[in-house]
Amino acid sequence: MPARLLPTQPDPRPQWDVFCRVIDNLGDIGVCWRFCSNLAQRGQSVRLWIDAPDALSWMVPGALEGLVPDIAVWHWTDPLPPGSLQQSPPAGIWVEAFGCDPAPEWMDWLAGRIATGHPQPTWLNLEYMSAESYVERCHRLPSPIFTGPLGGLTKWFFYPGFTPATGGLLREPDLMERRHQFDATNWLHNQDLPSDAATRRIGLFCYEPPPLQQVLREVAEDPLPSTWLATHGRSAQALAHAQQGLTGTPCEVHTLAPLTQTEFDHLLWTCDLNFVRGEDSLVRALWAGQAFVWHIYPQHDNAHHAKLEAFLDWLQAPPSLRQFHRLWNGVSRPRYEVWPGWAVVDEWRTCALAARERLLLQPDLVTQVLEFIAKKR
Amino acid sequence: MKIAQELRAGNVIMHGKDPMIVLKTEYARGGRGAATVRLKLKALLNNMATEVVCRADDKMEQIILDKKECTYSYFADPMYVCMDTDFNQYEVEAENMGDALNYLEDGMTVEVVFYEGKAISVELPTSVERVITWTEPAVKGDTSGKVLKPAKIATGFEVAVPLFVAQDDKIEIDTRTGEYRKRV
Repeated sequence: MPARLLPTQPDPRPQWDVFCRVIDNLGDIGVCWRFCSNLAQRGQSVRLWIDAPDALSWMVPGALEGLVPDIAVWHWTDPLPPGSLQQSPPAGIWVEAFGCDPAPEWMDWLAGRIATGHPQPTWLNLEYMSAESYVERCHRLPSPIFTGPLGGLTKWFFYPGFTPATGGLLREPDLMERRHQFDATNWLHNQDLPSDAATRRIGLFCYEPPPLQQVLREVAEDPLPSTWLATHGRSAQALAHAQQGLTGTPCEVHTLAPLTQTEFDHLLWTCDLNFVRGEDSLVRALWAGQAFVWHIYPQHDNAHHAKLEAFLDWLQAPPSLRQFHRLWNGVSRPRYEVWPGWAVVDEWRTCALAARERLLLQPDLVTQVLEFIAKKR
Repeated sequence: MKIAQELRAGNVIMHGKDPMIVLKTEYARGGRGAATVRLKLKALLNNMATEVVCRADDKMEQIILDKKECTYSYFADPMYVCMDTDFNQYEVEAENMGDALNYLEDGMTVEVVFYEGKAISVELPTSVERVITWTEPAVKGDTSGKVLKPAKIATGFEVAVPLFVAQDDKIEIDTRTGEYRKRV
């Protein structure tokens, strides 16, 4: 893994170490990169430690080569690359994403520092996003380390969320301006995609939603013509599988090449309806201000059902949108038609826009993190 | 050692050199199997209360304290008074009673917990039997127990019960989770 060497002169800017372990899919890496990118945009110097950085090669071209200003990507191997701590000592601010513990070498290093009288780093655990009420109750709470050589130190839990009592959502300072200036027709043309104004566009980023085939069939029967734009990988595979066995007039389907994070935003801005999944793309769909349906990460004990309902409550989702979410996520089973028609989907867009307005009144996640760090240091 | 997820109100853990009693716990699922526990703690030495959050699998040292089986006698605001078989009375602060208040009734057997000779909390048996004082009428034929409805016991504590459970039924409740176990 190529790693960008830090300058030999001391860097006066605040230094951050962000730790990310990829569990599956692209959510962890997507959130962490946007977080680091947001920090770098605001004058911070960031080092991202990540155990499976490969997806960054297409998600953010140049990131692995150190070509993105103020962000160095380090491959977090087990054990760490020899000499990495000596080459670039740990930073004063640590962020462990989603409760991934920093490597044992880091813990040993920190214990040694503490033993010789140095202060501990300001240490955040950036948690999972949820609209459930516990997020407000747990946000910004200390998390003492009770045992081991680091016993007595304190981490802080930081929860992204949707209300003013939470940490907010990731949002770049110039995002809405870029959104405003975006030209969908031009973007479609550059992607070699049809841009017929009379055709509705559906973006697909999902796991394997149970009613996908039924939705696909019913959308094809809608009086308004539609085009599906499927992201590569798992979504495209799910769509291809759903297409098998369909008879009659099929929908027009395009499978996209891997999109950078920026281009993924453009896809969301282009489509009249966005199917999104996981954490990062839900937030991006909210900023897009188009109708969207969330495929929530499924958990074996169905804990995601309560999480989904809490989000729909916050969203003030109309009954049709709630019903569609429950079907799309397999919480309930379809008895009749699933597809509600484009007139209803346009109402979903009104709901999404109102939610975006509420969110834009709140400070974004990185603004809040920076304020929090300033108070704690 | 105990993990955070196993902590219950009344447990005492060490934080540095400070023994802290657990006043309240709240378990929450995050994403992808991750879970956290929010703890309300009180330092035994200076009575300072604090709220913290831990990952559910964080380890902490639990102090094993002296315990004595007692009977709950009466409430003398703000203390709950328990009595042992020798008629010695022990007072426990209301704040330290934790979840025990959900199930407390006169003459109930509890274990009073002591730290340096002072009664600091009580521990309950893992299950108790209580009569349902209010719930919606039972649904005939429902014996699956999959669908739950709210019910209350004499303390006002609400527990989710299967549809076939009726008012005045006696049920067994798991005091560790506050969940219905079975109809007695």
